[in-house]
Amino acid sequence: MIARIAENCFWLGRYLERAESTARVLQMTGQLALDAELGAEQLWTPVVVVFGEHPAFTARYGAEREADAEDVQRFMTWEESNTSSLFNTLSAAREAARTIREVVSKECWEVTNELYLWLLGDAGREEFEHSRYGFFQHIRRMVQLCLGLFRSTMLHDTPLDFIWLGVMLERVGQTARLLDVHHHVFSGMRPGHPVVETALWLSLLRACSGFEPFMKTHSGRVTGDAVASFLLFESRFPRSVHYCLDSAYRYLVRLCPPDAEPQLPGRRTLALSLPLLAELRPQALASPDATVHALLTRMVEGTADLCALISEEYFGRKPPEAPVALGTQVMAG
Amino acid sequence: MPGSIDELMGPDGVARQDFQKLLAVLGARPPEDFARMQALAERALLNQGVTFSVYSDQRGTERIFPFCLIPRLVSASDWAHMERGLEQRIRALGLFLDDVYGPQRLFAERPELRELILNTPLYLPRLRGVRPAGRVRIHIAGIDLIRDGRGTYQVLEDNLRTPSGVSYVMEGRILSKRVVPDVLEMARVRRVDHYPARLAETLRAVSPEDPEHSTVVILTPGPYNSAYFEHSFLARTMGVPLVHGEDLFVDDDRVFLRTTRGPRRVHVIYRRIDDAFLDPEAFRPDSMLGVRGLLRAWAAGNVTLANAPGNGVADDKATYAFVPDFIRFYLGEQPILEQVPTYVCAREEDRRYVLEHLNELVVKTVDEAGGYGMLMGPQSTAEEREDFRQRILAHPRRYIAQPRVELSTCPTWDAATRKVVPRRVDLRPYILTGPQGPWVLPGGLSRVALRAGSYVVNSSQGGGSKDTWVQKEAV
Repeated sequence: MIARIAENCFWLGRYLERAESTARVLQMTGQLALDAELGAEQLWTPVVVVFGEHPAFTARYGAEREADAEDVQRFMTWEESNTSSLFNTLSAAREAARTIREVVSKECWEVTNELYLWLLGDAGREEFEHSRYGFFQHIRRMVQLCLGLFRSTMLHDTPLDFIWLGVMLERVGQTARLLDVHHHVFSGMRPGHPVVETALWLSLLRACSGFEPFMKTHSGRVTGDAVASFLLFESRFPRSVHYCLDSAYRYLVRLCPPDAEPQLPGRRTLALSLPLLAELRPQALASPDATVHALLTRMVEGTADLCALISEEYFGRKPPEAPVALGTQVMAG
Repeated sequence: MPGSIDELMGPDGVARQDFQKLLAVLGARPPEDFARMQALAERALLNQGVTFSVYSDQRGTERIFPFCLIPRLVSASDWAHMERGLEQRIRALGLFLDDVYGPQRLFAERPELRELILNTPLYLPRLRGVRPAGRVRIHIAGIDLIRDGRGTYQVLEDNLRTPSGVSYVMEGRILSKRVVPDVLEMARVRRVDHYPARLAETLRAVSPEDPEHSTVVILTPGPYNSAYFEHSFLARTMGVPLVHGEDLFVDDDRVFLRTTRGPRRVHVIYRRIDDAFLDPEAFRPDSMLGVRGLLRAWAAGNVTLANAPGNGVADDKATYAFVPDFIRFYLGEQPILEQVPTYVCAREEDRRYVLEHLNELVVKTVDEAGGYGMLMGPQSTAEEREDFRQRILAHPRRYIAQPRVELSTCPTWDAATRKVVPRRVDLRPYILTGPQGPWVLPGGLSRVALRAGSYVVNSSQGGGSKDTWVQKEAV
């Protein structure tokens, strides 16, 4: 397939996944705020940190408002200067889909376009003002519908492989960042009420759509370590870091099969992804000086390198001059 | 409207014989029904992204081409006449192009035409002597027709480079099927949805290699082009790749596509890029849209370009004046279709007449499209006329003038007043030409001037569209 189209497919998958994840995190944080007895700085500050927009947020609103629920939600939804805002990610997804309109199925295009028009028009604004939960729910549903339609209405061929490669690699980053930020915040909290702590871990699971899958595998026993292991290693959970990387690896093998001619692209990407995947075993945390944070940082950085190499090998983009620092941002203090 | 006829209604305000039953069904719908159906149709177009881009706008740059559900009907006998006339015109224009880029027999007989025809930047002398692979030059044509006060169809303009709008014809039909299926069925309308398959077949048939093993692509300037919707529509419905200039490269006078599996040879390119931007090596060196070396590959006969480069010399508005002569000269036939009398300002006698009658004539710039660069004499101010007088005197070759034709009208839904009102229409049928000769799509784009009193139907000037229903032969 044409390299430019492969690139648009990849980014279409990434942007849609990012939008769904953003809407989910904002929705779940709003729910948690209703029943956890937590200060706003423990609830809303992590949100901008997770998406790597902490500096942009404080530059825009000032440090004193970084815990303001309404400011954070507006910033993450509408702010045009925030590359991670829902407005920007959904606009970018729609533009990618429009550019490869002949590649995505009619059904997928219509869902993406309708969602974009809804967000841009009065209906989206009204829903945001009057029913915050419903607003995020609408975005999540439409994106999920589109991701499902990819599978059921498109040829299972190279374009679709690139879309799902994008979805999976985006998911690695999202899950890893959520886990890292929350692990840091929660672990640093004064050991207090176990119910509050449990609620926090459960909210993290909900923010990863993992509440019910976790309960099914752990029969209701919730601890920080169990949640971290689940989100890192559980090979049956479609948002765990392991599942997503393993899945990405399978798409990369499909794109560059072992019997492919040697001059065809993809070998270096494949070679980079395999050791990364091998590191993701529960034993990785066994040694006393190994930390969840270090492992997550390694995964986020490794995935960023992988994306850069995909750009270079498949899309013909030149490698960046300096390695992109995409490591998790740990909250100060 | 004074001086014009209505497509559906007779002068007595009663529906024309052919369309009576149909209009009775449509007319039985209350206005609320119409308003609702219109809103439904327009929302469907927006959600499906059936839009065109308006360059002057910033955000919200895409608009739907407003669509009126009341169809424009063409009787079977009118269509049969038009079809023969269009085929004849396209054959003559094709022979004319072969001639001006070949032996130039025409000028031996009509030497006075030499300078007039060749003196346009649209004629590309460097292409002289090239015989395109597949031997066809006008693969896709859109010929604009209007109907005068006597009800006679007349050719207004030939579009032989990259005529657009055919996707709206098919999207319009899809809407008619959804929203007024009963009326459509009763009308016994000829289908239009096989156009993409016919186009793909036509393009494969002119490949320099075996059609079965040929790769056809559509070359687009990209998503910011106003007709991008159409480019992706055609790629989708034909099942062929939509490519940008950067996706292609030329090696050893052969064209290749860059893919994730290495280079792939391309045989036929339906290009939706103007000649000037096609190849930075041959034309504009600053063009980022085209492909370096493409013209060489074309001249070597290794790739087919549809339409062929250089066609502009045949659809130039000044050349238009002589198409009836071409039909007589190349085919030895009398023209079947009439066309609008045209004064070519490059000719002294014509120029004098035009300058004396500016307030009666429509003056057009030969190299502008989309309703730009026009003087509508009868509606113009003295200042505008003076402006055009100076322009004509400075560059006579750039201007032609025609008497204003009272375009026919068609009942059209007006959302503001919630009434059906007469609005002027034109018609653009599409003609595909392969090695077997021309084929006319039974239907076409009916454009409608949505503003009361307006003659300008272009989408960029507030025009809309209607589905064109060509009736099957009476049984």
